[in-house]
Amino acid sequence: MSDFDTLDFFTDQSLVEDPYPYFEFLRSQGPVVRLPHRNVVAVTGYDEAAAVFRDTDTFSNCNSVVGPFVPFQADGDDIDELIARSREQMPMHEHMVTMDPPDHTKERALLMRLITPKRLKENEEFMWRLADRQLDEFLSKGACEFIGEYSQPFAMQVVADLLGVPEEDHRLFRVRLGVNPTPGSVDDPESMFANLNSLDFLDAWFTRYVDERRREPRSDVLGHLALAKYPDGTVPPVIAVVHAATFLFAAGQETSARLLGSCLQHLAEHPELQEQLCANRQLIPNFIEETLRLESPTKTDSRLARRTTRLAGVDVPAGTTVVMFLGAANRDPRRFERPAEFRVDRPNAAEHIAFGRGAHACPGGPLARAEAKVSLERILSRMRDLRISEAEHGPPGARRFEYTPTYILRGLTTLHLEFTPVDAPEPVS
Amino acid sequence: MRIVVDFALCESNALCVSAAPEVFEVRDDDRLYVLDENPPEELRAKVEAAMRVCPKQAIKIED
Repeated sequence: MSDFDTLDFFTDQSLVEDPYPYFEFLRSQGPVVRLPHRNVVAVTGYDEAAAVFRDTDTFSNCNSVVGPFVPFQADGDDIDELIARSREQMPMHEHMVTMDPPDHTKERALLMRLITPKRLKENEEFMWRLADRQLDEFLSKGACEFIGEYSQPFAMQVVADLLGVPEEDHRLFRVRLGVNPTPGSVDDPESMFANLNSLDFLDAWFTRYVDERRREPRSDVLGHLALAKYPDGTVPPVIAVVHAATFLFAAGQETSARLLGSCLQHLAEHPELQEQLCANRQLIPNFIEETLRLESPTKTDSRLARRTTRLAGVDVPAGTTVVMFLGAANRDPRRFERPAEFRVDRPNAAEHIAFGRGAHACPGGPLARAEAKVSLERILSRMRDLRISEAEHGPPGARRFEYTPTYILRGLTTLHLEFTPVDAPEPVS
Repeated sequence: MRIVVDFALCESNALCVSAAPEVFEVRDDDRLYVLDENPPEELRAKVEAAMRVCPKQAIKIED
Protein backbone atom coordinates (compact mmCIF):
# COMPACT_ATOMS: atom_id res chain seq x y z
CA MET A 1 0.00 0.00 0.00
CA SER A 2 2.72 2.44 1.00
CA ASP A 3 4.18 2.87 -2.47
CA PHE A 4 0.84 4.24 -3.69
CA ASP A 5 2.32 7.48 -2.34
CA THR A 6 5.08 7.58 -4.89
CA LEU A 7 4.01 5.54 -7.91
CA ASP A 8 3.20 7.18 -11.21
CA PHE A 9 -0.27 6.12 -12.35
CA PHE A 10 0.44 7.05 -15.98
CA THR A 11 3.38 4.70 -16.48
CA ASP A 12 3.03 2.11 -13.73
CA GLN A 13 2.29 -1.39 -15.02
CA SER A 14 1.24 -2.67 -11.60
CA LEU A 15 -2.01 -0.67 -11.69
CA VAL A 16 -3.23 -2.04 -15.02
CA GLU A 17 -4.68 -5.26 -13.65
CA ASP A 18 -6.55 -3.75 -10.70
CA PRO A 19 -6.55 0.04 -10.33
CA TYR A 20 -9.35 0.13 -7.75
CA PRO A 21 -7.28 -0.13 -4.52
CA TYR A 22 -5.24 2.83 -5.82
CA PHE A 23 -8.44 4.77 -6.54
CA GLU A 24 -9.56 4.15 -2.95
CA PHE A 25 -6.15 5.27 -1.69
CA LEU A 26 -6.67 8.57 -3.55
CA ARG A 27 -10.25 8.91 -2.30
CA SER A 28 -9.08 8.45 1.31
CA GLN A 29 -7.27 11.80 0.90
CA GLY A 30 -10.36 13.59 -0.42
CA PRO A 31 -12.42 13.79 -3.62
CA VAL A 32 -9.75 15.97 -5.26
CA VAL A 33 -6.04 15.46 -4.55
CA ARG A 34 -2.74 16.57 -6.05
CA LEU A 35 -0.54 13.70 -7.28
CA PRO A 36 3.23 13.72 -6.77
CA HIS A 37 4.00 13.54 -10.50
CA ARG A 38 3.36 15.40 -13.74
CA ASN A 39 1.46 18.40 -12.35
CA VAL A 40 -1.76 16.43 -11.99
CA VAL A 41 -4.79 16.95 -9.78
CA ALA A 42 -6.83 13.74 -9.50
CA VAL A 43 -10.62 13.77 -9.14
CA THR A 44 -12.27 10.71 -7.61
CA GLY A 45 -15.48 12.40 -6.40
CA TYR A 46 -18.69 12.12 -8.39
CA ASP A 47 -19.97 15.67 -7.83
CA GLU A 48 -16.51 17.15 -8.34
CA ALA A 49 -16.09 15.32 -11.67
CA ALA A 50 -19.54 16.48 -12.78
CA ALA A 51 -18.54 20.05 -11.89
CA VAL A 52 -15.37 19.83 -13.99
CA PHE A 53 -17.32 18.43 -16.94
CA ARG A 54 -19.76 21.33 -16.69
CA ASP A 55 -17.18 24.10 -16.49
CA THR A 56 -15.79 24.31 -20.03
CA ASP A 57 -14.88 27.90 -19.31
CA THR A 58 -12.21 26.98 -16.75
CA PHE A 59 -11.18 23.56 -18.07
CA SER A 60 -9.97 22.91 -21.62
CA ASN A 61 -10.35 19.61 -23.48
CA CYS A 62 -7.11 20.15 -25.42
CA ASN A 63 -5.38 17.37 -23.42
CA SER A 64 -8.31 14.97 -23.17
CA VAL A 65 -6.29 12.35 -25.07
CA VAL A 66 -2.73 13.06 -23.88
CA GLY A 67 -3.68 13.64 -20.25
CA PRO A 68 -0.64 14.94 -18.39
CA PHE A 69 1.72 14.57 -21.36
CA VAL A 70 1.18 18.18 -22.38
CA PRO A 71 3.88 19.35 -24.79
CA PHE A 72 4.29 22.85 -23.39
CA GLN A 73 5.20 24.61 -20.16
CA ALA A 74 2.50 26.73 -18.56
CA ASP A 75 3.31 30.09 -17.02
CA GLY A 76 1.00 32.57 -15.30
CA ASP A 77 -2.59 32.43 -14.13
CA ASP A 78 -4.28 32.37 -17.53
CA ILE A 79 -2.99 30.18 -20.36
CA ASP A 80 -5.78 30.58 -22.92
CA GLU A 81 -3.40 32.14 -25.39
CA LEU A 82 -0.75 29.46 -24.85
CA ILE A 83 -3.37 26.75 -25.44
CA ALA A 84 -4.55 28.43 -28.63
CA ARG A 85 -0.96 28.70 -29.86
CA SER A 86 -0.08 25.11 -28.99
CA ARG A 87 -3.14 23.25 -30.21
CA GLU A 88 -1.55 22.02 -33.40
CA GLN A 89 1.13 20.17 -31.44
CA MET A 90 -1.50 18.12 -29.65
CA PRO A 91 -2.49 14.60 -30.75
CA MET A 92 -6.05 14.46 -32.14
CA HIS A 93 -6.26 18.26 -32.37
CA GLU A 94 -8.40 17.98 -35.52
CA HIS A 95 -11.02 15.96 -33.67
CA MET A 96 -13.77 17.40 -31.51
CA VAL A 97 -12.66 15.37 -28.49
CA THR A 98 -9.88 17.93 -27.95
CA MET A 99 -11.78 21.08 -29.00
CA ASP A 100 -13.28 23.78 -26.79
CA PRO A 101 -16.18 26.19 -27.34
CA PRO A 102 -16.93 27.88 -29.64
CA ASP A 103 -15.23 25.49 -32.14
CA HIS A 104 -16.45 22.43 -30.29
CA THR A 105 -20.03 23.69 -30.11
CA LYS A 106 -20.02 24.19 -33.86
CA GLU A 107 -18.60 20.76 -34.73
CA ARG A 108 -20.66 18.88 -32.15
CA ALA A 109 -23.82 20.37 -33.64
CA LEU A 110 -23.11 18.21 -36.71
CA LEU A 111 -23.84 15.15 -34.56
CA MET A 112 -27.10 16.58 -33.24
CA ARG A 113 -29.86 13.97 -33.36
CA LEU A 114 -27.65 11.57 -35.24
CA ILE A 115 -27.84 8.66 -32.80
CA THR A 116 -31.36 8.93 -31.40
CA PRO A 117 -33.71 6.28 -30.01
CA LYS A 118 -35.58 6.19 -33.30
CA ARG A 119 -32.52 5.64 -35.48
CA LEU A 120 -31.20 3.04 -33.07
CA LYS A 121 -34.43 1.08 -33.44
CA GLU A 122 -33.80 0.87 -37.17
CA ASN A 123 -30.20 -0.14 -36.58
CA GLU A 124 -31.21 -2.76 -33.99
CA GLU A 125 -32.71 -5.01 -36.65
CA PHE A 126 -29.24 -5.36 -38.10
CA MET A 127 -27.76 -5.94 -34.62
CA TRP A 128 -30.09 -8.89 -33.91
CA ARG A 129 -29.10 -10.59 -37.15
CA LEU A 130 -25.43 -9.82 -36.65
CA ALA A 131 -25.40 -11.15 -33.07
CA ASP A 132 -26.74 -14.52 -34.25
CA ARG A 133 -24.40 -14.62 -37.22
CA GLN A 134 -21.40 -13.92 -34.98
CA LEU A 135 -22.47 -16.54 -32.40
CA ASP A 136 -22.98 -19.12 -35.17
CA GLU A 137 -19.26 -18.94 -35.92
CA PHE A 138 -18.21 -20.61 -32.66
CA LEU A 139 -21.30 -21.81 -30.81
CA SER A 140 -20.94 -25.52 -31.58
CA LYS A 141 -17.40 -25.53 -30.13
CA GLY A 142 -18.77 -24.79 -26.64
CA ALA A 143 -15.85 -22.39 -26.12
CA CYS A 144 -14.59 -19.08 -27.48
CA GLU A 145 -12.18 -16.23 -26.98
CA PHE A 146 -14.98 -13.74 -26.58
CA ILE A 147 -13.13 -10.46 -27.26
CA GLY A 148 -11.62 -11.51 -30.59
CA GLU A 149 -14.43 -13.80 -31.75
CA TYR A 150 -17.42 -11.72 -30.70
CA SER A 151 -16.91 -8.28 -29.09
CA GLN A 152 -14.54 -6.72 -31.58
CA PRO A 153 -16.08 -7.97 -34.84
CA PHE A 154 -19.58 -7.22 -33.50
CA ALA A 155 -18.77 -3.68 -32.34
CA MET A 156 -16.98 -2.88 -35.59
CA GLN A 157 -19.76 -4.11 -37.85
CA VAL A 158 -22.45 -2.34 -35.83
CA VAL A 159 -20.81 1.05 -36.06
CA ALA A 160 -19.92 0.44 -39.72
CA ASP A 161 -23.54 -0.42 -40.49
CA LEU A 162 -24.83 2.57 -38.53
CA LEU A 163 -22.57 4.97 -40.40
CA GLY A 164 -23.08 3.29 -43.77
CA VAL A 165 -19.53 2.07 -44.42
CA PRO A 166 -19.71 -0.46 -47.28
CA GLU A 167 -19.23 -4.05 -46.19
CA GLU A 168 -16.38 -4.71 -48.62
CA ASP A 169 -14.25 -2.14 -46.75
CA HIS A 170 -14.80 -3.57 -43.25
CA ARG A 171 -11.95 -6.06 -43.21
CA LEU A 172 -9.45 -3.48 -44.32
CA PHE A 173 -10.30 -1.08 -41.49
CA ARG A 174 -10.33 -3.86 -38.95
CA VAL A 175 -6.77 -4.83 -39.77
CA ARG A 176 -5.49 -1.27 -39.60
CA LEU A 177 -7.30 -0.36 -36.37
CA GLY A 178 -5.87 -3.48 -34.76
CA VAL A 179 -2.34 -2.49 -35.70
CA ASN A 180 -2.58 1.15 -34.68
CA PRO A 181 -1.36 1.68 -31.14
CA THR A 182 -4.06 2.74 -28.69
CA PRO A 183 -3.33 6.18 -27.25
CA GLY A 184 -2.33 6.31 -23.61
CA SER A 185 0.05 3.34 -23.50
CA VAL A 186 1.63 3.04 -20.04
CA ASP A 187 4.75 1.58 -21.72
CA ASP A 188 5.40 4.48 -24.02
CA PRO A 189 2.97 7.39 -23.61
CA GLU A 190 5.09 9.75 -25.72
CA SER A 191 4.49 7.53 -28.78
CA MET A 192 1.20 9.43 -29.21
CA PHE A 193 3.18 12.35 -30.58
CA ALA A 194 4.65 10.34 -33.48
CA ASN A 195 1.44 10.81 -35.45
CA LEU A 196 -0.87 13.56 -34.27
CA ASN A 197 -3.87 12.01 -36.01
CA SER A 198 -3.70 8.25 -35.62
CA LEU A 199 -6.95 7.96 -37.60
CA ASP A 200 -5.59 9.68 -40.72
CA PHE A 201 -5.41 6.37 -42.61
CA LEU A 202 -9.23 6.45 -42.64
CA ASP A 203 -9.44 9.95 -44.14
CA ALA A 204 -9.19 8.96 -47.80
CA TRP A 205 -12.00 6.42 -47.56
CA PHE A 206 -14.29 8.61 -45.52
CA THR A 207 -13.66 11.56 -47.84
CA ARG A 208 -14.94 9.38 -50.64
CA TYR A 209 -18.02 8.31 -48.66
CA VAL A 210 -18.85 11.92 -47.77
CA ASP A 211 -18.26 13.20 -51.31
CA GLU A 212 -20.55 10.48 -52.68
CA ARG A 213 -23.28 11.43 -50.24
CA ARG A 214 -23.02 15.13 -50.96
CA ARG A 215 -23.59 14.32 -54.62
CA GLU A 216 -26.24 11.69 -53.97
CA PRO A 217 -27.99 11.91 -50.57
CA ARG A 218 -28.39 8.71 -48.55
CA SER A 219 -30.40 8.00 -45.41
CA ASP A 220 -27.57 6.45 -43.36
CA VAL A 221 -25.72 8.36 -40.63
CA LEU A 222 -22.92 9.36 -42.99
CA GLY A 223 -25.59 10.65 -45.36
CA HIS A 224 -27.01 12.88 -42.63
CA LEU A 225 -23.55 13.99 -41.56
CA ALA A 226 -22.59 14.83 -45.13
CA LEU A 227 -25.54 17.22 -45.42
CA ALA A 228 -25.45 18.59 -41.86
CA LYS A 229 -24.84 22.30 -41.54
CA TYR A 230 -23.24 24.39 -38.84
CA PRO A 231 -25.66 26.24 -36.53
CA ASP A 232 -25.08 29.45 -38.55
CA GLY A 233 -26.30 27.66 -41.69
CA THR A 234 -22.92 27.35 -43.40
CA VAL A 235 -21.76 24.10 -44.97
CA PRO A 236 -18.85 22.41 -43.18
CA PRO A 237 -15.74 21.55 -45.17
CA VAL A 238 -15.60 17.87 -46.16
CA ILE A 239 -12.62 17.24 -43.89
CA ALA A 240 -14.57 18.42 -40.80
CA VAL A 241 -17.29 15.90 -41.59
CA VAL A 242 -14.64 13.25 -42.23
CA HIS A 243 -13.03 13.83 -38.84
CA ALA A 244 -16.40 13.62 -37.05
CA ALA A 245 -17.09 10.32 -38.82
CA THR A 246 -13.67 8.69 -38.39
CA PHE A 247 -13.70 9.43 -34.68
CA LEU A 248 -17.17 7.94 -34.23
CA PHE A 249 -16.06 4.94 -36.23
CA ALA A 250 -12.88 4.27 -34.26
CA ALA A 251 -14.01 5.29 -30.77
CA GLY A 252 -17.19 3.28 -31.11
CA GLN A 253 -15.30 0.03 -31.45
CA GLU A 254 -12.75 -0.21 -28.70
CA THR A 255 -14.96 0.97 -25.83
CA SER A 256 -18.04 -1.05 -26.82
CA ALA A 257 -15.92 -4.16 -27.19
CA ARG A 258 -14.51 -3.65 -23.68
CA LEU A 259 -17.99 -3.17 -22.25
CA LEU A 260 -19.19 -6.44 -23.79
CA GLY A 261 -16.13 -8.20 -22.36
CA SER A 262 -16.83 -6.88 -18.84
CA CYS A 263 -20.49 -7.93 -19.06
CA LEU A 264 -19.58 -11.48 -20.04
CA GLN A 265 -16.76 -11.75 -17.51
CA HIS A 266 -19.16 -10.84 -14.72
CA LEU A 267 -21.89 -13.17 -15.97
CA ALA A 268 -19.48 -16.08 -16.31
CA GLU A 269 -18.30 -15.59 -12.72
CA HIS A 270 -21.89 -15.48 -11.42
CA PRO A 271 -24.05 -18.43 -12.55
CA GLU A 272 -26.96 -17.27 -10.36
CA LEU A 273 -27.01 -13.99 -12.27
CA GLN A 274 -27.19 -15.87 -15.58
CA GLU A 275 -30.33 -17.60 -14.35
CA GLN A 276 -31.80 -14.41 -12.98
CA LEU A 277 -31.27 -12.46 -16.22
CA CYS A 278 -32.42 -15.35 -18.35
CA ALA A 279 -35.67 -15.60 -16.41
CA ASN A 280 -36.18 -11.84 -16.21
CA ARG A 281 -34.93 -10.08 -19.31
CA GLN A 282 -36.20 -6.74 -17.99
CA LEU A 283 -33.14 -6.69 -15.74
CA ILE A 284 -30.68 -6.59 -18.66
CA PRO A 285 -30.58 -2.79 -19.14
CA ASN A 286 -29.78 -2.18 -15.47
CA PHE A 287 -27.24 -5.00 -15.51
CA ILE A 288 -25.48 -3.08 -18.31
CA GLU A 289 -25.59 0.19 -16.35
CA GLU A 290 -24.17 -1.51 -13.27
CA THR A 291 -21.37 -3.03 -15.36
CA LEU A 292 -20.60 0.41 -16.82
CA ARG A 293 -20.50 1.81 -13.31
CA LEU A 294 -18.21 -0.85 -11.81
CA GLU A 295 -15.95 -1.45 -14.83
CA SER A 296 -16.03 1.89 -16.61
CA PRO A 297 -14.41 1.24 -20.02
CA THR A 298 -12.90 4.73 -20.00
CA LYS A 299 -10.68 4.82 -16.93
CA THR A 300 -9.60 8.44 -17.07
CA ASP A 301 -10.62 11.62 -18.88
CA SER A 302 -8.44 14.72 -18.63
CA ARG A 303 -8.79 18.49 -18.77
CA LEU A 304 -6.30 21.35 -18.60
CA ALA A 305 -6.90 24.26 -16.23
CA ARG A 306 -7.02 27.38 -18.41
CA ARG A 307 -7.05 29.63 -15.37
CA THR A 308 -5.87 29.31 -11.80
CA THR A 309 -8.77 28.03 -9.75
CA ARG A 310 -9.75 25.91 -6.76
CA LEU A 311 -11.52 22.59 -6.78
CA ALA A 312 -12.96 21.11 -3.57
CA GLY A 313 -10.50 23.21 -1.59
CA VAL A 314 -7.46 22.14 -3.64
CA ASP A 315 -5.40 24.77 -5.47
CA VAL A 316 -5.39 24.22 -9.21
CA PRO A 317 -2.91 26.60 -10.90
CA ALA A 318 -3.39 27.32 -14.61
CA GLY A 319 -1.71 24.58 -16.64
CA THR A 320 -2.56 21.82 -14.17
CA THR A 321 -3.85 18.59 -15.72
CA VAL A 322 -7.10 17.64 -14.02
CA VAL A 323 -7.61 13.89 -14.39
CA MET A 324 -11.05 12.52 -13.69
CA PHE A 325 -10.89 8.90 -12.61
CA LEU A 326 -14.27 7.83 -13.95
CA GLY A 327 -13.97 4.35 -12.47
CA ALA A 328 -13.43 5.99 -9.07
CA ALA A 329 -16.19 8.63 -9.35
CA ASN A 330 -18.55 5.78 -10.22
CA ARG A 331 -17.64 4.17 -6.89
CA ASP A 332 -18.11 7.33 -4.84
CA PRO A 333 -19.89 6.16 -1.66
CA ARG A 334 -21.58 9.58 -1.38
CA ARG A 335 -23.49 8.76 -4.57
CA PHE A 336 -23.63 4.94 -4.66
CA GLU A 337 -24.42 2.89 -1.56
CA ARG A 338 -21.80 0.17 -0.90
CA PRO A 339 -20.22 1.12 -4.20
CA ALA A 340 -17.89 -1.86 -4.71
CA GLU A 341 -20.84 -4.30 -4.73
CA PHE A 342 -22.40 -5.36 -8.01
CA ARG A 343 -26.15 -4.93 -7.56
CA VAL A 344 -28.15 -5.81 -10.63
CA ASP A 345 -31.17 -3.94 -9.20
CA ARG A 346 -29.29 -0.85 -7.99
CA PRO A 347 -31.88 1.90 -8.44
CA ASN A 348 -29.46 4.67 -9.46
CA ALA A 349 -26.95 2.62 -11.48
CA ALA A 350 -27.68 4.76 -14.57
CA GLU A 351 -26.33 7.85 -12.80
CA HIS A 352 -22.77 6.64 -13.48
CA ILE A 353 -20.55 8.91 -15.54
CA ALA A 354 -18.89 6.19 -17.61
CA PHE A 355 -19.80 8.15 -20.78
CA GLY A 356 -18.67 11.44 -19.27
CA ARG A 357 -21.03 14.36 -18.87
CA GLY A 358 -21.71 17.72 -20.41
CA ALA A 359 -20.67 19.19 -23.74
CA HIS A 360 -18.30 16.33 -24.55
CA ALA A 361 -20.46 13.46 -23.27
CA CYS A 362 -19.97 10.37 -25.44
CA PRO A 363 -22.35 10.61 -28.42
CA GLY A 364 -22.11 6.83 -28.81
CA GLY A 365 -23.55 5.98 -25.39
CA PRO A 366 -26.97 4.96 -26.69
CA LEU A 367 -25.32 2.80 -29.34
CA ALA A 368 -23.12 1.01 -26.79
CA ARG A 369 -26.16 0.31 -24.61
CA ALA A 370 -28.11 -1.12 -27.55
CA GLU A 371 -25.16 -3.29 -28.59
CA ALA A 372 -24.84 -4.74 -25.09
CA LYS A 373 -28.58 -5.34 -24.76
CA VAL A 374 -28.92 -7.17 -28.07
CA SER A 375 -25.79 -9.23 -27.42
CA LEU A 376 -26.86 -10.28 -23.92
CA GLU A 377 -30.36 -11.22 -25.11
CA ARG A 378 -29.00 -13.53 -27.78
CA ILE A 379 -26.20 -14.93 -25.61
CA LEU A 380 -28.65 -15.78 -22.80
CA SER A 381 -30.93 -17.47 -25.33
CA ARG A 382 -28.21 -19.47 -27.02
CA MET A 383 -25.61 -20.25 -24.33
CA ARG A 384 -26.15 -21.93 -20.96
CA ASP A 385 -23.78 -22.47 -18.07
CA LEU A 386 -21.29 -19.79 -19.12
CA ARG A 387 -17.99 -20.14 -17.29
CA ILE A 388 -14.45 -18.79 -17.34
CA SER A 389 -11.89 -21.15 -18.89
CA GLU A 390 -9.71 -22.39 -16.03
CA ALA A 391 -7.07 -23.58 -18.48
CA GLU A 392 -6.64 -20.00 -19.74
CA HIS A 393 -7.48 -17.85 -16.71
CA GLY A 394 -6.81 -20.12 -13.70
CA PRO A 395 -9.20 -21.46 -11.05
CA PRO A 396 -11.67 -19.32 -9.04
CA GLY A 397 -9.83 -17.31 -6.44
CA ALA A 398 -6.64 -17.35 -8.51
CA ARG A 399 -7.81 -15.97 -11.85
CA ARG A 400 -5.38 -14.34 -14.24
CA PHE A 401 -6.80 -11.70 -16.54
CA GLU A 402 -4.92 -9.33 -18.80
CA TYR A 403 -6.15 -5.80 -19.24
CA THR A 404 -5.39 -3.31 -21.97
CA PRO A 405 -2.20 -1.55 -20.83
CA THR A 406 -3.28 2.08 -21.09
CA TYR A 407 -4.10 4.75 -18.54
CA ILE A 408 -7.16 5.77 -20.58
CA LEU A 409 -9.06 2.53 -21.15
CA ARG A 410 -10.08 -0.31 -18.88
CA GLY A 411 -10.89 -3.69 -20.38
CA LEU A 412 -9.83 -7.29 -20.94
CA THR A 413 -7.46 -8.12 -23.79
CA THR A 414 -8.81 -11.69 -23.92
CA LEU A 415 -11.68 -13.55 -22.31
CA HIS A 416 -11.77 -17.33 -22.76
CA LEU A 417 -15.22 -18.72 -22.07
CA GLU A 418 -16.79 -22.17 -21.99
CA PHE A 419 -20.50 -22.82 -22.23
CA THR A 420 -23.22 -25.25 -23.23
CA PRO A 421 -24.88 -24.37 -26.54
CA VAL A 422 -28.67 -24.33 -26.44
CA ASP A 423 -30.08 -26.82 -28.97
CA ALA A 424 -33.27 -25.04 -29.92
CA PRO A 425 -32.95 -21.43 -28.88
CA GLU A 426 -36.00 -19.25 -28.93
CA PRO A 427 -35.95 -17.08 -32.02
CA VAL A 428 -35.52 -13.32 -31.96
CA SER A 429 -38.82 -11.91 -30.78
CA MET B 1 -39.95 23.50 -8.65
CA ARG B 2 -39.33 24.78 -12.15
CA ILE B 3 -37.56 22.74 -14.85
CA VAL B 4 -35.33 24.43 -17.39
CA VAL B 5 -33.95 22.42 -20.31
CA ASP B 6 -31.15 23.81 -22.45
CA PHE B 7 -32.38 22.66 -25.85
CA ALA B 8 -29.15 23.78 -27.49
CA LEU B 9 -27.43 21.02 -25.50
CA CYS B 10 -30.12 18.32 -25.57
CA GLU B 11 -29.32 15.46 -27.97
CA SER B 12 -32.43 13.37 -27.26
CA ASN B 13 -30.57 10.65 -25.40
CA ALA B 14 -33.88 10.06 -23.57
CA LEU B 15 -32.33 8.98 -20.27
CA CYS B 16 -34.48 11.58 -18.48
CA VAL B 17 -37.53 9.82 -19.89
CA SER B 18 -36.63 6.62 -18.04
CA ALA B 19 -35.90 8.53 -14.83
CA ALA B 20 -39.04 10.71 -14.82
CA PRO B 21 -41.59 9.64 -17.47
CA GLU B 22 -44.23 11.86 -15.84
CA VAL B 23 -42.21 14.91 -16.85
CA PHE B 24 -40.14 14.09 -19.95
CA GLU B 25 -41.04 12.54 -23.28
CA VAL B 26 -39.06 11.97 -26.48
CA ARG B 27 -41.53 11.69 -29.34
CA ASP B 28 -41.39 10.18 -32.80
CA ASP B 29 -39.81 13.35 -34.14
CA ASP B 30 -36.79 12.52 -31.90
CA ARG B 31 -37.25 15.70 -29.88
CA LEU B 32 -37.62 16.12 -26.14
CA TYR B 33 -40.85 17.51 -24.72
CA VAL B 34 -41.22 18.70 -21.13
CA LEU B 35 -44.73 17.58 -20.20
CA ASP B 36 -44.84 19.57 -16.99
CA GLU B 37 -42.47 22.49 -16.41
CA ASN B 38 -43.68 22.93 -12.83
CA PRO B 39 -44.08 19.38 -11.58
CA PRO B 40 -45.44 18.69 -8.09
CA GLU B 41 -43.00 18.42 -5.21
CA GLU B 42 -43.47 14.65 -4.86
CA LEU B 43 -41.67 14.23 -8.20
CA ARG B 44 -38.56 16.07 -7.00
CA ALA B 45 -36.48 12.92 -6.43
CA LYS B 46 -37.31 11.64 -9.91
CA VAL B 47 -36.57 14.98 -11.55
CA GLU B 48 -33.25 15.25 -9.71
CA ALA B 49 -32.36 11.76 -10.94
CA ALA B 50 -33.27 12.87 -14.48
CA MET B 51 -30.97 15.87 -14.06
CA ARG B 52 -28.10 13.61 -12.97
CA VAL B 53 -28.54 10.98 -15.71
CA CYS B 54 -28.68 13.57 -18.51
CA PRO B 55 -25.43 12.97 -20.43
CA LYS B 56 -25.36 16.57 -21.64
CA GLN B 57 -26.14 18.21 -18.26
CA ALA B 58 -28.94 19.99 -20.11
CA ILE B 59 -31.55 19.84 -17.32
CA LYS B 60 -31.68 22.34 -14.47
CA ILE B 61 -34.06 22.69 -11.56
CA GLU B 62 -34.78 26.23 -10.40
CA ASP B 63 -35.84 26.58 -6.74
